Amino acid sequence: MVIAIGFEGSANKLGVGIVKDSVVLANPRITYITPPGEGFMPKETAQHHRQHVLSVLKKALSEAKIQTKDIDVVCYTKGPGMGAPLATVAIVARTVAQLWNKPILGVNHCIGHIEMGRLITGAKNPTVLYVSGGNTQIIAYARKRYRIFGETIDIAVGNCLDRFARVLKISNDPSPGYNIEQLAKKGEKYVPLPYCVKGMDVSFSGILSYMEDRTDNLLKEGYTPEDLCFSLQETIFAMLVETTERALAHCNSSEVLIVGGVGCNLRLQEMMSVMCEERGAKLFATDERFCIDNGVMIAHAGAEMFRSGTIMKWEDSTVTQRYRTDEVETTWRDD
Amino acid sequence: MSGDKNLNIDLELPFGSKRIAEIVFDVLRVDEEPRRSGVCKKLTLEDTLIKVNFSGSLTRQLRTALNNFFEKVDLITETIEVIGLPKTESYSYY
Repeated sequence: MVIAIGFEGSANKLGVGIVKDSVVLANPRITYITPPGEGFMPKETAQHHRQHVLSVLKKALSEAKIQTKDIDVVCYTKGPGMGAPLATVAIVARTVAQLWNKPILGVNHCIGHIEMGRLITGAKNPTVLYVSGGNTQIIAYARKRYRIFGETIDIAVGNCLDRFARVLKISNDPSPGYNIEQLAKKGEKYVPLPYCVKGMDVSFSGILSYMEDRTDNLLKEGYTPEDLCFSLQETIFAMLVETTERALAHCNSSEVLIVGGVGCNLRLQEMMSVMCEERGAKLFATDERFCIDNGVMIAHAGAEMFRSGTIMKWEDSTVTQRYRTDEVETTWRDD
Repeated sequence: MSGDKNLNIDLELPFGSKRIAEIVFDVLRVDEEPRRSGVCKKLTLEDTLIKVNFSGSLTRQLRTALNNFFEKVDLITETIEVIGLPKTESYSYY
């Protein structure tokens, strides 16, 4: 039996999760929401996490109804992410590990998403599309590593959506991506946009610049904000489905798993499911509770590492802004 | 001002017990100063006392490093207040 607590705070979400033998006991989370037209900056985000981390921790402990002495391992996000928010949350993780006298494990954020997705959906060996505000990767497992088959060569798909939301001054509550998704449902006229797939990789910064330069004029020409949201979503999601399809074919896989904050976009799930049906593959996705950054994904991935005997030295309980998915050996997978 | 680190700040932080001082010290010592901070930080633990020396060449950078340091110390002590005193006299998983 493994009980793990996980601390996540690599971007604007702050979460503490507790799992017991892969069962979610508690997973409270709060989000740092900025005014329309503004993004979240490292310093302010760290300040937000600092202010709220202890109340979220208390909430997780009371919801889980466990005794702290029964916790086996304290897990936290080691990276990738924004330095200051990561460091703030890691300090609390280190302190509680010392107070409770429990081992500490730093978890790769991307691995957290993948393992959480596999746990919740039951996907065995999926080709993974990991799409969020900071990451865009097409991943498949082979010989003890999650290998990156394709990724963005500039900004993440979620970053493209978030920043386009700022152009239109769309609200960041609950998230810019969610609000774009709702507007896009009412879009009718498609604006042709650049389509940037380069081999297995994708690029979004040019599309974003294109939108930033032309939005004012397009609105004057009679396109609505809804049309623009619709056009942007259709274009960038098509790019993601295309590259995922190629990875799926290459790996002869029969499962696709979408994880990460953008993964709860139902239009992306719909487009992906059409592709999966054509190929006789099965699509797995989760809702916002587990797609969006949360504490349980870190707790669960950490619990898997702990069960397979991973040990981290105290001196290594640092954070790092860059930490690639394929740097981690998946000691907990035997296939 | 020249590039050598000729400005120094020495601090002494007393704690209620040896174990608490040790925890705060252990949590703090893991993080290196950010490379671009321009400040060198040296931490030492003496019984219930944490001693820290900051050296740098720009007062602006020293102030930032000092601010960050106190933010961290505050967060650690607040965490101890919320979670409660340590369960054991030593940590078993270094």
